[in-house]
Parts: sequence; structure tokens; C-alpha cells
Amino acid sequence: MSWRWALARRVAKLAATDGGGGAQAQRLLPTSSAAAGTGLLGRLHMPLASQIRSKVVGCRGAALVSSRWLHDAQYQVRQDGASRAQEQQDPFELVADELSLLANRLRSMVAAELHLQVPKLASAAEYFFKVGAEGKRFRPTVLLLMASALKFPLSESTEGGVLSILADKLRTRQQNIAEITEMIHVASLLHDDVLDDADTRRGVSSLNLIMGNKLSVLAGDFLLSRACVALAALGNTEVVSLMATAVEHLVTGETMQISTSREQRRSMEYYLQKTYYKTASLISNSCKAVAILAGHTAEVSMLAYEYGRNLGLAFQLIDDVLDFTGTSASLGKGSLSDIRHGIITAPMLYAIEEFPQLQEVVDRGFDNPANIEIALDYLRKSRGIERTKELAREHADRAVKAIESLPDSDDEDVLTSRRALIDITERVITRTK
Amino acid sequence: MLPGRILLAGLRRSASAASSVAQSPKNMCYWDRVIWSSRYFHSASDNAFSEGGSKAKELPDPFALIKDEVSEVTDRLRSMVVAEIPELTSTAGYFFRAGAEGKRTCPTVLLLMASAISTDMSDPIVGLENKPRARHMRVAEITEMIHISNLIHDDVLDNADTRRGMDSLNFTVGKKLAVLAGDFLLFRAFSAAVALDNTEVVSLLATAVNNLVTGELMQLTITPAQRCSMDYYLQKTYYKTAALISNSCKAVAVLSGQTTEVQDLAYQYGRHLGIAYQLIDDILDFTGTSASLGKASFSDINQGIVTAPILFAMEEFPQLREIVEQGFDDPSNVDVVLKYLQKSQGIERTRLLAAEHAKLAAAAIDDLPASEDPVVLSSRQALKDLTQKFLRRTK
Repeated sequence: MSWRWALARRVAKLAATDGGGGAQAQRLLPTSSAAAGTGLLGRLHMPLASQIRSKVVGCRGAALVSSRWLHDAQYQVRQDGASRAQEQQDPFELVADELSLLANRLRSMVAAELHLQVPKLASAAEYFFKVGAEGKRFRPTVLLLMASALKFPLSESTEGGVLSILADKLRTRQQNIAEITEMIHVASLLHDDVLDDADTRRGVSSLNLIMGNKLSVLAGDFLLSRACVALAALGNTEVVSLMATAVEHLVTGETMQISTSREQRRSMEYYLQKTYYKTASLISNSCKAVAILAGHTAEVSMLAYEYGRNLGLAFQLIDDVLDFTGTSASLGKGSLSDIRHGIITAPMLYAIEEFPQLQEVVDRGFDNPANIEIALDYLRKSRGIERTKELAREHADRAVKAIESLPDSDDEDVLTSRRALIDITERVITRTK
Repeated sequence: MLPGRILLAGLRRSASAASSVAQSPKNMCYWDRVIWSSRYFHSASDNAFSEGGSKAKELPDPFALIKDEVSEVTDRLRSMVVAEIPELTSTAGYFFRAGAEGKRTCPTVLLLMASAISTDMSDPIVGLENKPRARHMRVAEITEMIHISNLIHDDVLDNADTRRGMDSLNFTVGKKLAVLAGDFLLFRAFSAAVALDNTEVVSLLATAVNNLVTGELMQLTITPAQRCSMDYYLQKTYYKTAALISNSCKAVAVLSGQTTEVQDLAYQYGRHLGIAYQLIDDILDFTGTSASLGKASFSDINQGIVTAPILFAMEEFPQLREIVEQGFDDPSNVDVVLKYLQKSQGIERTRLLAAEHAKLAAAAIDDLPASEDPVVLSSRQALKDLTQKFLRRTK
């Protein structure tokens, strides 16, 4: 197999260089197959897809998937005749097959346990595990890529031997972390949606609404209890500890959001702490868990943690910006749901630093839409949005640095995954929705 | 001949009023416990002989035997639920405040069980902390946290205003914060369980948590047919009430390194005790504090929850089944059912079933490997007395 990797590596390297790469890449492959548009790698292409879908994607499966990725990169190069390597393949695609596997496992677990007794609950929880929901499989993707990025090198001669079986087992356990993370995430969404009586008074307190509350609480409880069982099954004290901490942080963050005092609402420090708890803690602790399961040192595990933490923070900060700007570059076109719920986010906090009089506006609350307009006006005048983007960029850079500080490896799969993780930070910063 | 220091301790204790001296259980060495528990044992046997063994006498209080250690558990619980932010600490610690702790049946049972199955004769007298005992107390703490977490969520689901004679947590801080507090407690408990470094124990507790949710699910989504099924009811009761205590009893046995037979006996005790407890609870919902119907809350039936007395009544009066299947949104249905219940043997048969389970629980204790240790014996007696105490409760 190693010669194929060597070839792939050369192709990828050529594809990455500017100009002339395409021609060279062409020359590396046998002409007949080149003409047909399939190369040596290409012949792998079609069977690959069906192979992967029909069996458990172990670490070797992941490796095959990534070789397909490389092939696609090379194929694109040949397509346009000029290197378009800058146009990298979607990192989410890299683990797409593994992700469907996870999603199916989760869905069947929910269906099996609940279907007999609670079809309604099953559909409530299932909704969240639907395959293909746009942009929703963020966490598992990051975790699976991290697992690949942290792989210890497997020497070629032991393929199919004991070591590779162990590696497959590890992969399964790391997949379990991804599943557990997703269960915890969905449970927290369900519990966060629990309405208080105050909320129902404004709307219609129908039986449906009350039933919805009960189902939300119960569905969340169900997922949390299954997460407990799955964590117990992993049999690793440190990992369980990390995930328990993550749940605690989720709860803390949500409680902070509900019960902030006036002084706290003004504080950028409080806001960042709350953001870490609500958004970044889960992904950072699960990244660390993935590293620990693989048996890495504390140092490497911390790097994984740092990646997750900074990625999560960057993600949330851009989310805050998008809530104001939406898909357009201009302000006020976003959904403005944060401000409408009285949640003061980073851009506004920065604006208040520049315009202290904005504090009074904020304190008045935003039930009155005119007040929202006033606040947006200040925000427009200020550098709030820009500074938030800068902070997000800073965190993204730190995430990249964490990946770059990982121990060297020349395993192609590892390198690909690391590139993908870096790519994700870029996407998080530049996304428009 | 006991060492002089022990004699002195014994004298000191008998001099002071009935164990009101705050002896820290941490410092209570083995021999102190012997003396203390032998007093319990003697009072039990005194009672038996003094009135010619009549049944309607005052049982020694099994809770008293282990009261100090249970207090220690509660104190620790208060510190175990401290969170990063005060709002969360106060909601999570709501039911651990002084005066709010309830009967603390779970820790009592577990600590008694730990003593009852103990085969370790040599307590280091000089040691400050009895290591195995400390781990058992951890299990008690964890179980109590899981129990409270479940109570909090139950109250949210049932929209309950009161609990333990005071405002429920959701009534005080709202549903959402209550739900979050419950989640927090659950995972704090889970972290503590993991710190015990025993995967089987963690597994047992995770199973218990899972069962609690399943029981609640069974209740929420019950179909008319299931509502009339005694099997469904007993299964649901096991999940909701007995699963936690039975799995934690087993966990205590596992931590003590006991054989699978002993583990199973501990489990069976917990299981039968839990079910007996729930059956009496069901009766009390109809009878309240008096023996006759009509002086109680009827909260079960008003929420449409069909319990054992009604299920038994349905066996006697098949026409009752149709009404039960209709549900209880119509209050006149409730009246009809109550009339049938009064005519039937429903209450009595439920009491008999509870007594049966109590007997099975006591039998599990009797099957434990023989021991001469007075502490072990008195703990076992206390566990058996507990089953009787449950049968006789009036509130």
C-alpha cells in the first residue's frame, strides 16, 4: 500500500503548487487510464464508495476515504488544466460516511429504546439526529477529524494484524465520544427550550404546549441517561470526568444566561465566560477526551482541548455578528433574535465601551422595537462588529496554532485531517450563515 | 476485658442522654459502634420480651441507629453541590438545606446495608477515616443526589407546587432552572461515582438512572390497555421507585468485594423494599391518615394514574375496567371508581402484596452469610425492622 501513499503524496504536493502542477500530475499516471479520466487512484474510486457504505468505517476506512479526497483534489486539477488546489474539498465530506454511520446508530438507539413505548418521544429526539441536516453535524465532524489527526502511526507490515484491530477498536470508542457529545448537545437544546409559566402566559397555554414541555424534559432526560450508560461503558475515569464537567458547564452557562444581574450583563468577561460554558466547553472537553482515549500525553490532550476551545469561541463570536448582519454585510438584516431576547453579545458590549450612553439604552430593555433601532444605530457607528470579528480571528488563529503544535507525523491520513481541522477554523470565520 | 479507654467511652455515652452527644462517626471506631449498636439490639429484644412479644409495640427506630452517619452524608452533600455560580448552588442544594432533607431513607438503607454485609472485622482504631466505610458513604451520597435530581424533574413534569411540606423547586425558581438543577445534580453524582474507580458500580448507577427515565416514560405514555395491566404497573413501579435503591444496594455489595450471591441478596432486598414502599404509598393516597377512605389527597387518581388498589378492584368488578380505560378527565369517573374501590378488597389486597414484598426483603437479609459480629447483626435487624416500619406508616 505504501507506494500508493507515496504517489498520492506526490500528487497532492504537485496539486498544491502553482502552475504546471496539473501537467506534472498527468504525467505520473498511466496514459490510457488518464485518458479515460480514471487513474490508479481512480480505479479505487467507485468501489470505495460502496465499500465504505456497507461496512464499519474503521481507521483504514477513514484512510480510504481520505485517499478519495486526495484523488478528487487531483482530478479537479486535471479538469481545469490549471491547479485549483486552493479550492479544497469540503472537510465535512472527509468524514461524511462515518458521520452517517454515527447518525444511524444514534437514531436506531433512540428508536429501539423509545419506539415501543413512546413513539412521540422517539420522533422528538429523532428529529435532531436526522441525517443531512445542513450544518448540524459540526461537533461529530470535528471530533472524528481530531481522532484521525491524533492517530499514532501504524506500520505497514502490521496491517490486518493485532495492532490494526486495536486501532479499529479505538476508532469505535472515539466514535462513541462523538455520539455521546451529540446526545449531550441535543439534550441541552431540549432542556434549554423548556418554557416557564411566564412564557406561556404571553402565548397560548394549550395542552400541546404543556405536553411539549413534558416531552422536552423527558426526551432530554432520556438522552442524558443514555449518555451516562455509554460513558460508563467506555470505562475511562478521566473521560467520564471530562464529559461530566462539560455537562456541568452547559448547565452553568444556561443558568448564567437566565439569571444575569444588571452588572454582569455589562461585563465582557462575564459574557466570554458564559460563552465558553455554553458553546466551547462541550467541544473542547470532548476533543480532549478523544485524545485521552488514544492514550496521548497530557500535553497533546491539552492541545486538542485548546483547539476545541478556541474553535468554539470563534464560532460563537461569529454567530453573534451574524445575528446582527445576517447574510448581508450590512447591519440589521440579521434575525436580531439575541437582542430581542435581551441577550447582550460581544458586538454590543464593544459598542458600549465606545459609547457609554448606549448602556442606558441597553438597560431600558428591548421590548420596545424603537429601542432596538437606537441600539443598532450606536452599533453601526461603533467598531463593535469589527472588533468582534477580530477577536474571532484571534481565537481561530490560536486553534490553528494548537493543531500545528501537534507532534509531527508523516501519515497521510493524519496530515489530511489536520489540514481539514485548520480549514474548518477558516470556514467558521468566513461563513455568512 | 475491654481496654480501659473503650470502657470509659462506654461510660461516657451511657452517662449522656440517649446518644445526643455529637460523636463524629468519622472518629467512631469499631468498638464504639459495637457498644452503640448493642444498645439498639438490646432495646429491640427488650421490647420483644417486655410485652410478651405482642405485635402492636413500638419498634426501635432503625433510622436512629445510623443517624449520625446519615447527618454526615447530608453535610457532605451540601458541599458536593457547590457550583461555579451561586444561583446554581442554591437551586441544586435546595433539598439539602437544613430542615429540607426529608427522611433520607436512601442513605439510611445503604449505610445499614453496608454494615449488614460487612465481613471486615478489623477496623484500624487509630485511623481517622475508615476507608471502605468512606466509600460506602460516597454511594449513599451519590444515590441521594440521583434521587433528588429525579424528584426535581418529577415535580417539573407533574407541575407540583409542594414537596416535603414546602414549595417545590420549580414553584420557587421556575421550571427551567429546576430542570437545569436536576441535570447538574445528576452529573455531579455521576462524577462522584466515577471517582470510586469501579466500573461495575458506575454501570449499576447508570442503569438506575436509565430505569428512572424509563419508568417516567412508561407513565407518561400509557395507553388505556396498559393502564389496566397489573404487570405494566408493577414494572413501572420497579423502574420508578425500586430500581435506584436496589442497584445502589448492589453497588454497596460490589464495593465491599462481596460474592455475587451477596450482591444479589442486597439487590433483592432493595427491590422488594422499594416495591413495598410504593404499594403502601398507593394505599395512603386513598386512605390518608385514617383507615377509611375519603380523608386523603387522591392525587394519583386525579392525575389519571391507576395504582394497585384500583387494579385489584378491577379484578373483582370487571365493569370498572371500562371506566378506567376512559380515563379520569371527567371527575364523576373518579367518584365512580372510588365507590367501587370501597366495595372491593382492593386496599386489603394491596396491603397483603406489600407485606409479601416486605417478607421477601426480610428473607433476603436472613439469607446473608452468618455472622457473629454485633454490628452486623444489629444492622440486619434494623433493615428488617425497616420493612415493618414501612408497612405501618400512616403518612
